Amino acid sequence: MLLAVLFSNSDGNILVERFNGVPAEERLHWRSFLVKLGAENLKGVKNEELLVACHKSVYIVYTVLGDVNIYVVGKDEYDELALSEAIFVITSAIKDICGKPPTERLFLDKYGKICLCLDEIVWTGLLENIDKDRIKRLVRLKPPTEF
Amino acid sequence: MAQPLVKKDDDRDDEMDYSPFMGIEKGAVLQEARVFNDPQLDARRCSQVITKLLYLLNQGEAFTKVEATEVFFSVTKLFQSKDIGLRRMVYLIIKELSPSADEVIIVTSSLMKDMNSRTDMYRANAIRVLCRITDGTLLTQIERYLKQAIVDKNPVVASAALVSGIHLLQTNPEIVKRWSNEVQEAVQSRAALVQFHALALLHQIRQNDRLAVSKLVTSLTKGSVRSPLAQCLLIRYTSQVIRESGISQTGDRPFYDYLESCLRHKAEMVIFEAARAITELNGVTTRELTPAITVLQLFLSSSKPVLRFAAVRTLNKVAMTHPMAVTNCNIDMESLISDQNRSIATLAITTLLKTGNESSVDRLMKQITNFMSDIADEFKIVVVEAIRSLCLKFPLKYRSLMNFLSNILREEGGFEYKKAIVDSIVILIRDIPDAKEGGLLHLCEFIEDCEFTYLSTQILHFLGNEGPKTSDPSKYIRYIYNRVILENATVRASAVSTLAKFGALVDSLKPRIFVLLKRCLFDSDDEVRDRATLYLNTLGGDGAVVETDEEVKEFLFGSLGVPLTNLETSLKNYEPSDEPFDIHSVPKEVKSQPLAEKKAPGKKPTGLAAPPVAPTSTVDAYERLLSSIPEFAGYGKLFKSSAPVELTEAETEYAVNVVKHIFDSHVVFQYNCTNTIPEQLLENVSVIVDASEAEEFAEVDPSTGEAEEDGVEDEYQLEDLEVVSADYMLKVGVSNFRNAWESLGADCEKIDEYGLGPMESLTEAVNAVISLLGMQPCEGTEVVPSNSRSHTCLLSGVYIGNLKVLVRLSFGVGGPKEVAMKLAVRSEDISVSDAIHEIVASG
Repeated sequence: MLLAVLFSNSDGNILVERFNGVPAEERLHWRSFLVKLGAENLKGVKNEELLVACHKSVYIVYTVLGDVNIYVVGKDEYDELALSEAIFVITSAIKDICGKPPTERLFLDKYGKICLCLDEIVWTGLLENIDKDRIKRLVRLKPPTEF
Repeated sequence: MAQPLVKKDDDRDDEMDYSPFMGIEKGAVLQEARVFNDPQLDARRCSQVITKLLYLLNQGEAFTKVEATEVFFSVTKLFQSKDIGLRRMVYLIIKELSPSADEVIIVTSSLMKDMNSRTDMYRANAIRVLCRITDGTLLTQIERYLKQAIVDKNPVVASAALVSGIHLLQTNPEIVKRWSNEVQEAVQSRAALVQFHALALLHQIRQNDRLAVSKLVTSLTKGSVRSPLAQCLLIRYTSQVIRESGISQTGDRPFYDYLESCLRHKAEMVIFEAARAITELNGVTTRELTPAITVLQLFLSSSKPVLRFAAVRTLNKVAMTHPMAVTNCNIDMESLISDQNRSIATLAITTLLKTGNESSVDRLMKQITNFMSDIADEFKIVVVEAIRSLCLKFPLKYRSLMNFLSNILREEGGFEYKKAIVDSIVILIRDIPDAKEGGLLHLCEFIEDCEFTYLSTQILHFLGNEGPKTSDPSKYIRYIYNRVILENATVRASAVSTLAKFGALVDSLKPRIFVLLKRCLFDSDDEVRDRATLYLNTLGGDGAVVETDEEVKEFLFGSLGVPLTNLETSLKNYEPSDEPFDIHSVPKEVKSQPLAEKKAPGKKPTGLAAPPVAPTSTVDAYERLLSSIPEFAGYGKLFKSSAPVELTEAETEYAVNVVKHIFDSHVVFQYNCTNTIPEQLLENVSVIVDASEAEEFAEVDPSTGEAEEDGVEDEYQLEDLEVVSADYMLKVGVSNFRNAWESLGADCEKIDEYGLGPMESLTEAVNAVISLLGMQPCEGTEVVPSNSRSHTCLLSGVYIGNLKVLVRLSFGVGGPKEVAMKLAVRSEDISVSDAIHEIVASG
């Protein structure tokens, strides 16, 4: 299960968060845990350089893209490798939408598009699409090209 | 077309401080949402409002029921618009709003229409939305469409239906299980993702059917699975099948060749998954392990941190069971110590510590020293623990490892970290005699500058026990006395105790210790002064008559003989009075926690070799009381005292109960007579026992009250009293019944079967037999699971004459509530085993 996808700005303010199968009372804990993890480790990290951690039986892969920190959390079959796959799709989709690693402003400008993309990539805890071109078409309700 | 919200790059400076959602407010957005009701829909404006709603929802803003319903209803109007972008947003917001069951009906018709639409993408999205918001009843209506969708030629539609199936399986498993054939077809799809989703769903549908899973794996491992993700799933399912099937008779492991072939796959994900699966095989051999370790070793030097992490994490696990297999990777792992990612570095270090050989320890320690300064405390603790195990493995290397521990002890760190280091040093001192003196000095230096009172007192206590036994105890005194001068009261008091221990054990130091202790008599703290006075007194430093050496040592080093928690409770309950607190009144019994004990993995089974649980303090009190009465003094050791048995009704004038004291060849009855009427005084009370139905009895114990004035004679009938077989049995548990049973052997075993007649439940039967025998149930077997038709109960005890007895009771229910029981008894004497059977036969 992909437990969470979370975007924050560099100050740790949440931009987007999507939890799946995480009880409401644990979300605050995760939110602050992830933001702290980012604050401690993401300084000076290059765009899209992946960092990885595990907390109990849960894996976390996180990175920075422009002004935005991105975290994905998973367990069981969504281990660090599957998560890195997911975060790769997410970062490339966002770069695609924003045209470059986004500033916070640009990210918020494209907020609706980004939400749609996320909806195509992760659907209630399962990875659904991994090809950015296809996702780009799907958010515009265009069928994929390859079939 | 430029969107109004997007600003061009040239005015970036303004942009930094300005967010399109600045000052966004729920109320205002809800107002804006009224545009959804406009007869002329402005698609772009509607999309913007939906974006704002999404932003609010993602920020954790909660909508009330009314607000959500209102928004949801207006959103449904947007189905009228043909604008594609807006439609996509509508699908998303409906999912996010997750309307309640009674509202769903509003959109179902629109969604059903989309589901049959010619536009593929409408179909896919409608399926996803419907499955998110639907319940069981609606599902049966749309099931037909979903089945079609699973085999749809558009992969997006098929995937949408399959992923929906995975979710619906949780809530409506019966329906989804009917889709097996379609899903099976989808597994063969040419589209990679469809295959991945179909495989996941198919496995979930069949997960409880081992044979089906095995068939699935067999067929797919032969064919070609296109998607790397699906391949990973297949590897997982394969290792599950391997786990369940075991090794074939020829010694080959089924499917191992498949796993091995996956190590040569082009996707790293698949390679890694296969390598991990191999390392996790039950009883994996070195030959099987080697190819997996080789690919993991390659990953260690990968440029991708995720791969490095995954590899080192897996190798770390392998190192626990097969340290030799990992040694080849040591050089690669050493380079990971300087990895940017601290998680990777820590895993590398701890793996190296597990696999390192004696010759590499020094080099490793040098590298770790540089590394320690820039990791967080929780990582440091892991390293400290690994170093402790390494030191116990290579005791000859204690010098460098101990030095390392003492160095990091001096550096900055939190309590948990420091405690882990101190604990490690203490363990090393205990287990490696050569390390003792050096280790103690390291601890001494640490307390010179230790900010944690808990650690200081712990070290002082340890120092008091170990320091006097070293070759030159005097060198520790300076550190200890410094505590008396420099520290807080708790530490000072501790230091005083430690000084006293040195005084007691090292005669040559005694006079000088007295000088130091006398100085403590002027301390500002009560406890410190009290301790100093007490120790001076016991050691003879104040010129008083000294107690014998043995007594002093027992006092200083011996244990209290009672569990600390019990002592604490007793002290809290003690009310200050002329009567001093008596430590003998503290119960010695440790509250038994059968379940907790079962769970504690570190506990070694001791079997019957373990001393019986100390008798309760009430027995002690009884024993003292009885031995103080001359008539009973010669009866020897008290075997058991029963719980008081009431001989009167609850609310009578005189409440009388009896305690049965069992000696080896005597039984004493103690009648406790309580007067329940305050205005009345009882005197000259005697109990007359009519023993006509009894066998042989010795004594009657009269108790008398105090005379005051004339009274009335009265005679009072008490209930009959029985001495039962359970009175001759002490409840003594064993920690591991099986071991105890084996160690008693079958020499004095006696087995027989009994019919217990009709009983309400097995629980009733079990309790009846337990109370009949008066033995201690072991391992929680006194609890009968509800509705069970058979049960085994294990009992242990000590029979009069100090003979250990173990009983294994097997109950079964047959016929109309008829309970039958098989009784197996093992004891140290065949006559005891016979006696137990007699008790049951006559009970």
